[in-house]
Amino acid sequence: FIFDFFNARLHFGCSRMQMYPLEMEGNSNPKTTNKPKYSKFTQQELPACKPLLTPEIVIAAFALIGALFVPIGLASLHASRQVVELVHRYDASCVPVDDKVGFIQNSRTDKTCTVTMTVPKYMKSPIHVYYLIDGFYQNHRRYVRSRSDKQLRYKSAAHLTSDCVPEGDTADHAPIVPCGLVAWSLFNDTYTVRVNGVVTQVNKKDIAWKSDKNNKFGKNIYPSNFQKGRLIGGATLNESIPLSEQEDLIVWMRTAALPTFRKLYGRIEKDINANDNVTVVIQNNYNTYSFGGSKALVLSTASWIGGKNNFIGIAYLTIGGLCLSLAMGFLVLYMVKRRNFGDPSNLSWNR
Amino acid sequence: MAEDHGSSRHMSSMSMSHKELGDDDARVVHVGDAERTNERLQFAGNAVRTAKYSPLTFLPRNLFEQFHRLAYVYFLVIAVLNQLPQLAVFGRGASVMPLAFVLAVTAVKDAYEDWRRHRSDRAENNRLAAVLSPGAGAQFVPTEWKHVRVGDVVRVGANESPPADMVLLATSDTTGVAYVQTLNLDGESNLKTRYAKQETLTTPLEHLAGAVVRCERPNRNIYGFQANLELQGEGRRIPLGPSNIVLRGCDLKNTSWAVGVVVYAGRETKAMLNNAGTPTKRSRLETHMNRETLFLSGILIVLCSAVATLSGVWLRTHQTDLELAQFFHKKDYLKVGKEDNENYNYYGIAAQIVFNFLMAVIVFQIMIPISLYISMELVRLGQAYFMIRDAKLYDASSDSRFQCRALNINEDLGQVKCVFSDKTGTLTQNKMEFRCASIDGVDYSDVAPQRPVEGEPAWVPKVPVKVDREVMELVRNGGATEQGMNAGEFFLALATCNTIVPLIIDGPDPKKKVIDYQGESPDEQALVSAAAAYGFVLVERSSGHIVIDVLGQKQRFDVLGLHEFDSDRKRMSVIIGCPDKTIKLFVKGADSSMFGIIDKTLNPDVVQATEKHLHSYSSVGLRTLVIGVRELSQSEFQEWQMAYEKASTALLGRGNLLRSVAANIERNMRLLGASGVEDKLQDGVPEAIEKLREAGIKVWVLTGDKQETAISIGYSCKLLTRDMTQIVINSNSRESCRKSLDDAISMVNKLRSLSTDSQSRVPLALIIDGNSLVYIFDTDREEKLFEVAIACDVVLCCRVAPLQKAGIVDLIKKRTSDMTLAIGDGANDVSMIQMADVGIGISGQEGRQAVMASDFAMGQFRFLVPLLLVHGHWNYQRMSYMILYNFYRNATFVFVLFWYVLYTGYTLSTAINEWSSVLYSVVYTSAPTVIVAILDKDLSRRTLLKYPQLYGAGQREESYNLRLFIFIMVDSVWQSVVVFFIPYLAYKNSAIDSASLGDLWTLSVVILVNIHLAMDVIRWTWITHAVIWGSIVATWICVIIIDSIPTLPGFWAIYEVMGTALFWALLLAVIVVGMIPHFAAKAIREHFMPNDIQIAREMEKSQDSRDANQPEVQMSTSTRA
Repeated sequence: FIFDFFNARLHFGCSRMQMYPLEMEGNSNPKTTNKPKYSKFTQQELPACKPLLTPEIVIAAFALIGALFVPIGLASLHASRQVVELVHRYDASCVPVDDKVGFIQNSRTDKTCTVTMTVPKYMKSPIHVYYLIDGFYQNHRRYVRSRSDKQLRYKSAAHLTSDCVPEGDTADHAPIVPCGLVAWSLFNDTYTVRVNGVVTQVNKKDIAWKSDKNNKFGKNIYPSNFQKGRLIGGATLNESIPLSEQEDLIVWMRTAALPTFRKLYGRIEKDINANDNVTVVIQNNYNTYSFGGSKALVLSTASWIGGKNNFIGIAYLTIGGLCLSLAMGFLVLYMVKRRNFGDPSNLSWNR
Repeated sequence: MAEDHGSSRHMSSMSMSHKELGDDDARVVHVGDAERTNERLQFAGNAVRTAKYSPLTFLPRNLFEQFHRLAYVYFLVIAVLNQLPQLAVFGRGASVMPLAFVLAVTAVKDAYEDWRRHRSDRAENNRLAAVLSPGAGAQFVPTEWKHVRVGDVVRVGANESPPADMVLLATSDTTGVAYVQTLNLDGESNLKTRYAKQETLTTPLEHLAGAVVRCERPNRNIYGFQANLELQGEGRRIPLGPSNIVLRGCDLKNTSWAVGVVVYAGRETKAMLNNAGTPTKRSRLETHMNRETLFLSGILIVLCSAVATLSGVWLRTHQTDLELAQFFHKKDYLKVGKEDNENYNYYGIAAQIVFNFLMAVIVFQIMIPISLYISMELVRLGQAYFMIRDAKLYDASSDSRFQCRALNINEDLGQVKCVFSDKTGTLTQNKMEFRCASIDGVDYSDVAPQRPVEGEPAWVPKVPVKVDREVMELVRNGGATEQGMNAGEFFLALATCNTIVPLIIDGPDPKKKVIDYQGESPDEQALVSAAAAYGFVLVERSSGHIVIDVLGQKQRFDVLGLHEFDSDRKRMSVIIGCPDKTIKLFVKGADSSMFGIIDKTLNPDVVQATEKHLHSYSSVGLRTLVIGVRELSQSEFQEWQMAYEKASTALLGRGNLLRSVAANIERNMRLLGASGVEDKLQDGVPEAIEKLREAGIKVWVLTGDKQETAISIGYSCKLLTRDMTQIVINSNSRESCRKSLDDAISMVNKLRSLSTDSQSRVPLALIIDGNSLVYIFDTDREEKLFEVAIACDVVLCCRVAPLQKAGIVDLIKKRTSDMTLAIGDGANDVSMIQMADVGIGISGQEGRQAVMASDFAMGQFRFLVPLLLVHGHWNYQRMSYMILYNFYRNATFVFVLFWYVLYTGYTLSTAINEWSSVLYSVVYTSAPTVIVAILDKDLSRRTLLKYPQLYGAGQREESYNLRLFIFIMVDSVWQSVVVFFIPYLAYKNSAIDSASLGDLWTLSVVILVNIHLAMDVIRWTWITHAVIWGSIVATWICVIIIDSIPTLPGFWAIYEVMGTALFWALLLAVIVVGMIPHFAAKAIREHFMPNDIQIAREMEKSQDSRDANQPEVQMSTSTRA
C-alpha cells in the first residue's frame, strides 16, 4: 500500500505540473483505461473497528481505573510509611559566626561540627546517607553545559575543554581534567557516623551507577590541574585514582533535575534500633552560604517505591477516588438523562 | 459594458489579439531563410524547457521558492539565532535539523518532479522534423525539434505534430485544406480545418524564398492570429488569419502532408504560452489557521517575556551571590585584573534579559508547529490520492478520472455553501439532437426514428436523427408546393450555413457510406445531421465550395463568402453561389438577433407563428435558432465582395470592419423558419441537485441561454419546483430594472414577515437576465440584488456573458463569507472558475480550457455529490482535526518545557534531551497525525449520501473554530501541568537526575498526545493501530538509543529509571490524570450534547450490528449503495 501510495503521488505530481506532455502520453495509448483499480484500501473501505463512548464503556472505564488505582495507592502509601527517614539541616547550626561566607572561605578555621539525632523507629540496613542541598541550581544553563563528557571518557580528548570555560584550562593553558563547573563544584563535606558512640562504617563503594563507572568515566583518566585556580569550588581529587573510581565525583556529575536535591553519600550496612543515638561529625567545608542555600544530612531506609514518598500514594488514592465518583456521577447522569442510542429523530433537521 | 466587472485576468490574456497589427510591433519572418529572420532579433529557438531547474540552479532557486513561506523564514531566523555563541541553546546540528528536514523533503519532491520534466523535455526536443534545407536541392532534411528555427520551412506528415507554430504554405490537398485535431491544445476532439493560401499553394516551394510573413507578436490566444504574407516581387499583402496557422501540439489528420513556415518557436508557441499554471488559491481553513497561529505567537511572546522578566528579577535578587555561587561562577579569574570585562559570559542584567528572551524563543519555537506545514502537504496528497482513485468519481464515457489540479484547497470542498453552475455541457450533455422545426410558420415536431427507404443513395449521418414524416413527404415532393420549396430551402440553409467538415468513414455496410460531421459547434452538427436525414447531405467541403447531395443528386455550391459566428452578432451567414447561378445569403442565429434583421413585412403571418413556436420550443427546454434567407443581386454581391476584400486586408481595425461588412449585408432577410434542438441533461443531474439542496448548498445556474430555456431546464433538473415563488427581473431599461428590484425586495420582506418559522417558508426563486445585471452593476445597486439573491433558494441567471458570471460569483464572495464553488466546462466559464473559492472543470465536450483553469476536474456534474458530501466532508473533518491536534501537541510540549524553566533559575535549560525536543514534532508524533488525517472517516460514504444534511457540519465550521481551539489549548495546558507537576512533586527533594526525569517527561508527553489522538480516532484500521502504537514504541526506542551514547550527559538514565517502580507508577498516573478531562468532556459531549455526526455514527453502529446479524441484508444494501 505504501508503495502504491507513493506512485500515486508522483502520478499526481505530474498531472498537475505538466499538462501538456502528459496529455500526449495519456492519449497515445488508447487501450489502457483510466478506471481506478478497485481495492478496499483505495476505496477507503478497509475493515475497521469503530468504538463509541457508550455509557457502559464510560462507566466501566472510570470504575476500572478507580479499582486499579485505589489498591496501588494503598500499597505505595504503606510502603512509604515503612520508610524511616531522618533529616537534619546543619548549615546554620554548624557555623557559629555571623560572617558565614568568611568563615567557610577561611581555610584555617576548624569546620568540624557534630550533630546528634535520635532514631524514632527501627532502621533496617542498608541505611542510605544522603546530603541534601537546597537552592543550588545544578540545572542552571551555565552550569549543566559546563562539562566535557568526551574528556571524561577518552584520554585523547583531554584538550576538549571549550565548553568548560572558565574552568577549562589553567592560566598556562593546560587542560583541567575533569574540567567545567560541574566537576569544579564537587561537594566536599564529610560525615563520620557514630551509633550510640560506636564509630559505624559508611560504605562509599558502589554509590554511583555501574554504567557510569564502566562506560562513562574512563579507567585510564586521572585528574590533573584540578582545583588549582584562584577560586576553589569544592573538593579536590586524588590524582592517583582514575575517574572511574572517583564515585563522589560520578554521583555529583549526575546533575540533579531540580534546585533542591539529595545525593547519595554512602550506606550504613548495619541496622539501627529505635531510640539509638546517631552522632555525625561533619567537616562543614562546602560553601552554600554565598548563595543562600542550605545543607542537610539525610539517613533513610528504602522500599520498593524508593525513599519516603507519601505523595504518590495519596495521588493514586485521590485519582482512584475521583474516578470512582466520576463513574457514579456518570451512572446517575445517564439514568437521569436518557437518550436513545442512534435515534434519527434527534438529528437537527428532524427536531 | 459587462466587461467592467469581474476579473480582468481573462481579458488581458485575450486582449493581444484584439489589437490590430501595426508594422512596428510585427514580427518579420523570411520564409525559408532562418538566418535572415533571426539576423536582427534573435527569436526564441524551438527547444522547450518546462523544467524549472538545472542542476546548478536547483539549490538556490528551490530554496528561494520554499522560503516564500513565512513560517520557514521564522524557523530560519531561529536557527541563525541559535548559531550565536551567547544564544546557543541547541547544538548546531540539532537546531538546523527540523528545518533542514522539511526543506529536504520538499526539495526531493520538487527535484523528482523536475527530473521527470527534464526527461520529457529531452524526448520532446529530440523528436525529428523534416526541415527544408536552404542548400542545394531544396530537400527536406530530418532535423531535431530543438534545432528548428523561426523562418524554417517544415513538412509535417499525416498524424504528425508540427514542431512549432507555423503558417501553412501548401498541403497535400489541391485546395490547400489541412485538418488538424487540437485535442492536446484545447481538448476538442473534432477536426478543424486549416487552409493554405491559394497564392502559396500554387507557387513551388523554391520560389517562395524571399517571401515575407509579418505576424503579431507571440501571445496566448490560441483562437487568434493576425498576419500577412508578401510574396517576392509582388506588392500585394495576402491576409492571414487563425485558419492559416497550425499550432504546436496539434495533430495533422486526414491530410497526407502539409508544409508551413515556422513563425513562433519553442517557448513562444501558443501552446507553451498557455502552459502557465492556475493561480494559487488558499483554503479557508488555512486562513483561519493563520489566525490561530498568530494567537499562538502571542502565547509564545508571553511565555518568553515571562521567562525574560523573571530571569531579570532572579539575577537582581541574586546579584551579590552570583560571584561565588558554584553554579554560576560569574568571574573568569584568568581575566581578572587583565581585561575590562572580567566576567565570563555575563553582560549585565539588561543584556541577560534580552539574551534570555531570545533563547526562550529558540527553546519554545515549536509552539508554531513547523511540521504542520509539511504534514498538511502530505495529508492533502493522501486525500488527493483517494479522490483520484475513487471508483465512484470515474467517468466511463470519457474514460476520465477525477483530477486534482490544485493541491491546497481539498478541505474547502467540505464547506461549500453556494454552487454556481454553468448550464450547457455541465448540467446538460451538450449533445444536441434535432427535435423540431418550424418551417414557414408550420410546426413539425412529431419525430420518429427514421426507417430505411429503398433506393436511397447510401449516405448516412453517423448520429442517427429522428425525422418528421410530414416534412419528409414535403421535401420529397420538392418544388411541387410552395411549402415544399420553403422546406427545401430551409434544409439547404441548414446544410450550407455552417462550418462543418464532413468526413466519410467506411461503415459496416459497404454500400452505405457513413458521414461523420466534424465541427466546432454541436448545434451545427445536429442541424447538418438533420439536413442530411431529410435528404440534404453535406458530402464534401473545400475552401471554395461544398458538395451537397440534394435528394440523391450531387450538387456543387460555391461558398462565396462567410461571416463566422461571433458572440456580439450572435449569428453567422454564408453567401452561396447556387448551381442555378443565383447568389443566396443564408443567415442563422439567435432569435433576439435575427428578428432585428428580418423584414417582417414579407410574411407577417409566418413571423408571428414562428415567434409563437419559438416560445413553445424554448419552454420545453429546446435551443432555438432562426434561419433567414435573401437572394443577392449581382451588383449587391460585387459591392459586398469589394467591401469584404478591403476589410479583410486592412491592417488596422480588421475585426470591426469585417463586422460592419457583415451587418451591412445581413438585413432585410426573409424568415425561413426556426429549429429546435434538444440539449439533453446529463445523467443524474436532477438527483444531484436535489441532494445538494438537501445538503444546504444553494445552487445558482448561470447560463447564456434565454430565459424560457433556462427556466425549462430549471424545471427538468428539479432546480425549480412548482411550489416556488418566482421573482423575475427582466428589464430593458435602468428605470424598470430599479423598479423591479425594489418590488422584489418588498416581496422578499413581505414573505419573510409572513412566515417567521422555517417550516412554512415559501421557497423563492430569482430569475434574472444579463441585461438587468448590467444595469444593476452599473448603478451600484449590487447590495439590493445581493439582499434578494441571498433570500432566494434558487437563482437562475440567463443570458449572461462570461465576465458577468465572474461578477456574480464575486458579488457573493465579497459580501458573504460563504464558500463558493463554480463548475463549468467551457471557455466561457474560465473567469467564473478562477473567481470562485473552488473551481471545478467538467472534462466534457467544450474543450479543455475550463479544466485547465480549474482546481479539480471531473467527468460528470453528478460527481459533485460524492465529491462534496463524501470527500469534501472527510477532507474537512480530517484536516481541521489535524490542525487543531498539531497546535495542541506542540503547545503541550512547550508548556512542559516552560514549567521546567521556572525551576532552573529561568535559564532555559531543558531536562528533556535536546535531540528528543528536536525529534518530538518531526519523528515522535508526526506519523500518526498524518496517517489519521488521511485515513480516518467519521462517517461512511453510505451514511453521508443518505443524509446530505450532515454536510452542514462543514458549512457551520463545526470542526474548526475558535471555541475548539481554546478548548484544546486549555486541555494542552492541563496536560502539561499534569506531565510536569506530578513527577515534580513525586521527585521533590529526591536524588533524581535531570536526564532520568527528562526521559520520563519525554515519554509521558509522547504517550499522552498519542493517546489523545487515539481517543479521537473514529475508525481503527490496522494501519491506524500500527502507526499510533508504533509511534510510541519508536519514541521509546529513540530514547533508549539516545541514552546509550556514553558521551551524552544522560547516558544510561532510561535504563536506570525504568528499573524503579516509581517511574512506572508516575507514567501511569500522568497518562490517566492527563486524559480524564478529555475523556469526561468527550463522554458528556457525545451523550448529552450530541451533534448530528455523533447521532449518525450511532445509527451507523446499530446498522452495522444489524448487518452483522443478517448477512443477506448486508449484501443487498451494499450493492445498492
